[in-house]
Amino acid sequence: MIAKLFRPLAPVGLPGKLLLGIVASAVLSLASPAIAQSTSAFSLNGFGTFGLARTTTDDVEFVRDISQARGVGSEWSALIDSVLGLQAAWRVTPHLEAVVQATSRYRYDRTFTPDISWGFVKYNPTPNLSLRAGRLGTEFFMMADSRWVGYSFLTVRPSGDFFWYLPFYSIHGADAAISVPLGENILRAKAFYGHSDGRIPLADQQWDIAGSPMVGAFLEYQYGPWLARASYANIEFKNDLPIAPVLKSALGIDLSAQDAAFLATRDTRTHYYSLGLVYDQGPWQAQLMLNHIEQGSNALQCSDGGYALLGYRIGEVTPYLGYSWVLSKARGTGPSAITAYVMQDSRSDQQTTFAGLRWDVVRNVALKAQWDAINGDSSSLFPYRQDNRARWDGRMNVFSLTLDFVF
Amino acid sequence: MPFRRLILLCSLFLLLAQPAAEVRAELVVVVNARCGVAAMTRNEVVNIFFGRNHQYFNGIEAQPVDLPDGHPDRKRFYGLLVGKDLSEVNAYWSRQLFSGRMQPPVKVNSAEEVLKWVVSHPGGIGFVDLAKADARVRVVYELTP
Repeated sequence: MIAKLFRPLAPVGLPGKLLLGIVASAVLSLASPAIAQSTSAFSLNGFGTFGLARTTTDDVEFVRDISQARGVGSEWSALIDSVLGLQAAWRVTPHLEAVVQATSRYRYDRTFTPDISWGFVKYNPTPNLSLRAGRLGTEFFMMADSRWVGYSFLTVRPSGDFFWYLPFYSIHGADAAISVPLGENILRAKAFYGHSDGRIPLADQQWDIAGSPMVGAFLEYQYGPWLARASYANIEFKNDLPIAPVLKSALGIDLSAQDAAFLATRDTRTHYYSLGLVYDQGPWQAQLMLNHIEQGSNALQCSDGGYALLGYRIGEVTPYLGYSWVLSKARGTGPSAITAYVMQDSRSDQQTTFAGLRWDVVRNVALKAQWDAINGDSSSLFPYRQDNRARWDGRMNVFSLTLDFVF
Repeated sequence: MPFRRLILLCSLFLLLAQPAAEVRAELVVVVNARCGVAAMTRNEVVNIFFGRNHQYFNGIEAQPVDLPDGHPDRKRFYGLLVGKDLSEVNAYWSRQLFSGRMQPPVKVNSAEEVLKWVVSHPGGIGFVDLAKADARVRVVYELTP
């Protein structure tokens, strides 16, 4: 019965059950107290989510972001939101720390194979300067590096219209962050550079983005309960999208050399700009985020997206309401019918209204329920998997339930 | 006269219970008396306890100490300081921890251990009942409802 929730594909079955087992035992052992209590040099912490979601259509599959190869349809599934993460940290000296974090979630290869999300050494030469090197999480957008820690945020999952286009999670590289107190306010800056390490699914193929250089920085200002951030990042792709093999296997079409050159992603650069404003005081939580993505390849459309979120806590329950949107700019059709078909695939044009409830049931465990009403154009294909273009009308509801925990 | 006795018992209980609630001591933020900090504002205290700033104005590293969730002073402290429930404070720290940014402050089990921490660390900072703050520490901020 539970295995049936991991419906889409056979390879999911076993790791899926494994994940469920670990999640169940983790939840059972939650009697133990909270995060990092000990003063000892070693600490072990974890986070996880057991999530169920369904939509109201089978014309496309809904994913959490485009790092997932398959998504959910009109039957309840635990595929897209379930995750388990473990972190081990070793404080070598008060200013030197080594951290390893492993995460198991549904990923590009249609399995829950755990991977090492971070593994780095952190050194603080002064109390307000932090240097890290190793495998690091990237913050292309605000909160991008804690997207899977459901317990840490209000909603069931980060807004798709904002995060769908961001399947990058880590780099092999280094970053530096500095905090500068200005009276009662804090200015914080961070810069990172590294080579990406990952794969992005495209139909039954994968796009290898390993070795693609990423660089980025942000400036953040904390003013009492207000936090504002402006950030910029870019990635230069070192490989082409696997368009030729996808066309061959899905439609039996050969991609001409001319079309392939037109759709190349190799040696193109994508730029990410974002602005974020957060208010967090007393029972109120509010967020406003805007992004602009400038794609270098003809195969991908540039886009603007954003979301607004407002939550108010009443006792242990926090109801929230939000609105998000994404709109891409069409680039025309290219030299052939084939390029036109491929270019349609990176189109996004939709708005989502969402409402939900977070209930902090017991210490370090939250239950959430959310309803998303997606209202888009039938051309909005990029955020989804397994689209049936002839039938998809751009509208769906998504219902989600999650159990989030940390230990 | 069991009824009269009950009234007597009730008024006795009220007499005992009410002053106890009224003299419930004020929570204060204390630092190591030798760290050179004389007073702090609410935002400065928030910045230290939420790990946004790790230094006092004079450059000395701040070393905050916290209490476990089960301790009633922890709930009072964050409630008075930022109006947040402990679940929200813990959610904040889970974001900092699992994004690899920083670990939450060390937690000790009692007010006595908070004082011990503050006294034994040059930049120590913690929160205790005003009545417990002795000469070894300096009160830099009073939490008022």
